[in-house]
Amino acid sequence: MPILEPLLPKILSVKRIPGADPALLRAYGADPDRHTSLGLVTVDQDDPTYVALDECTKHARVDVVYARSFYAGSRHSSGPLSGEILGVIASDDPDEIESGLAAIVNTLEHDACFYAANDDGSIAVFPHVIASLGTYLSAIAGVSPGESMAYLVAPPIEATVALDFALKAADVRLLKAFPPPTETNFAAAYLGGSLEACEAAAMAFAEAVVAVGREPRDR
Amino acid sequence: MNELSRTRDLVAQLRRQLGENDPLPPRPRPQEIPFPPVRVFPTPARRSAFAEQAAAHTTALVGIGHVGTRYATDVVLQFQAELAVAHGAVAAELPGDWAQSKGYVPLVSRVSSHREFLLRPDLGRRLSPQSLQLWTEQSRKDIDVQPILADGLSAVACMGAGPELLEAFSAECQKRGFTVGTPACAKFARVWLQDEIGQVARARVAVILLGERPGLGTGDGLSAYLVHGPRVGNTDGNRNMMSNIHARGIVPADAAKRLAVLVQLMLEQHTSGVGLDLAPRAAELGEAARGGYRAPQARSRLVEV
Repeated sequence: MPILEPLLPKILSVKRIPGADPALLRAYGADPDRHTSLGLVTVDQDDPTYVALDECTKHARVDVVYARSFYAGSRHSSGPLSGEILGVIASDDPDEIESGLAAIVNTLEHDACFYAANDDGSIAVFPHVIASLGTYLSAIAGVSPGESMAYLVAPPIEATVALDFALKAADVRLLKAFPPPTETNFAAAYLGGSLEACEAAAMAFAEAVVAVGREPRDR
Repeated sequence: MNELSRTRDLVAQLRRQLGENDPLPPRPRPQEIPFPPVRVFPTPARRSAFAEQAAAHTTALVGIGHVGTRYATDVVLQFQAELAVAHGAVAAELPGDWAQSKGYVPLVSRVSSHREFLLRPDLGRRLSPQSLQLWTEQSRKDIDVQPILADGLSAVACMGAGPELLEAFSAECQKRGFTVGTPACAKFARVWLQDEIGQVARARVAVILLGERPGLGTGDGLSAYLVHGPRVGNTDGNRNMMSNIHARGIVPADAAKRLAVLVQLMLEQHTSGVGLDLAPRAAELGEAARGGYRAPQARSRLVEV
């Protein structure tokens, strides 16, 4: 497998619950006063799915009410449909759920994905650039919707070294850091700035992850 | 260009920058070559029965064993020692005053140096003008046998068993009633020099005793060449010869007797070489008259390890 080859996410399930029980709605963080329908996806890559969930808020009138990664990642999932993440979107209109799910699937199939950072793909890197944030990630990152953001993920040591490299490579600021351990034991960071700066930082991050994989010990 | 994903475009671009679109094949792992097993090659104390029997049929170096793919040390040392003996014998030169000190008429061929002697056999077959004059003056003429001692290719052999063989041979001839010529000693001599020396002395038979070409471990072998009616122009077809006259081959005393018998046959039949019939005196010649298989001489060890 060549370096920086996309590692495409696998969508394991896409389900709709048009008239969900209010108790269930409350349990998953939705508001029965505003939401009646749910859309659910499970995917074997969590970070592309967070991006896809955020993306769908720009395509449909939906809220991301629930999105959690599973412990230890998709290689240790609880079942063949569990994957690494469960994402739930909610709306008062089943058609909006339909549009939202379509946007999620489209994003997972054609945009957000991990990339191989070494020859056998055992090191994965996620140097994703979001040109315009939706409502979901902007709230987490603490910026306004519509701003640009670099969403950077890699295993702990690679991510730590590469994050420093990315911060110095462009005029970006650290919006939020997720030091290890996380649910999947990766490390992540959100960087904010202009679109060009976010792109430069993301590519610097990817390049640094590859370099760390090639030389794990300083000579 | 992927219209749907800016990030994928950027990563593909980075990949091109890193040269990963056309990557070199991954470096192959260095091949692990295991250490060869430790092998000990003991030298067998005894030769096998087959080697024993094969070696009994020849003096060649067979059945000498091996250590791994190599010769055993003692075999190598033995070979080097034997080769040194041969080299030494070829390189040896007869001292100029040796013949005189032994009471022989000192003759020299037309060769002027040892190197020339090795390179020019033709010059070694004729007497130098001075030697020819000396020999004409000092030789006894009209005789039955002219004995000649010469260095040939081994001055070591000449100086070793040469005088003893010459004395014994002359004594045997006199015992049989032949007239023996003045003993001569020729330096830088080839076999055919006997023709000119015998011709000058008007001998009926000329006998030259000279050091033979050294082999491995044998630098002291003498050969005797006999010719009836010596004259310049005789060929090897006119000659009889006896080789391997040394302590481990035919001992000089035996050789002297057999040579005298050969001389007697030549005087009786007035010929030598191919035409000579050994049958009438086969009994006196012993094994020399018979053809067929003869057991090889034993190899003597020059080096003890």
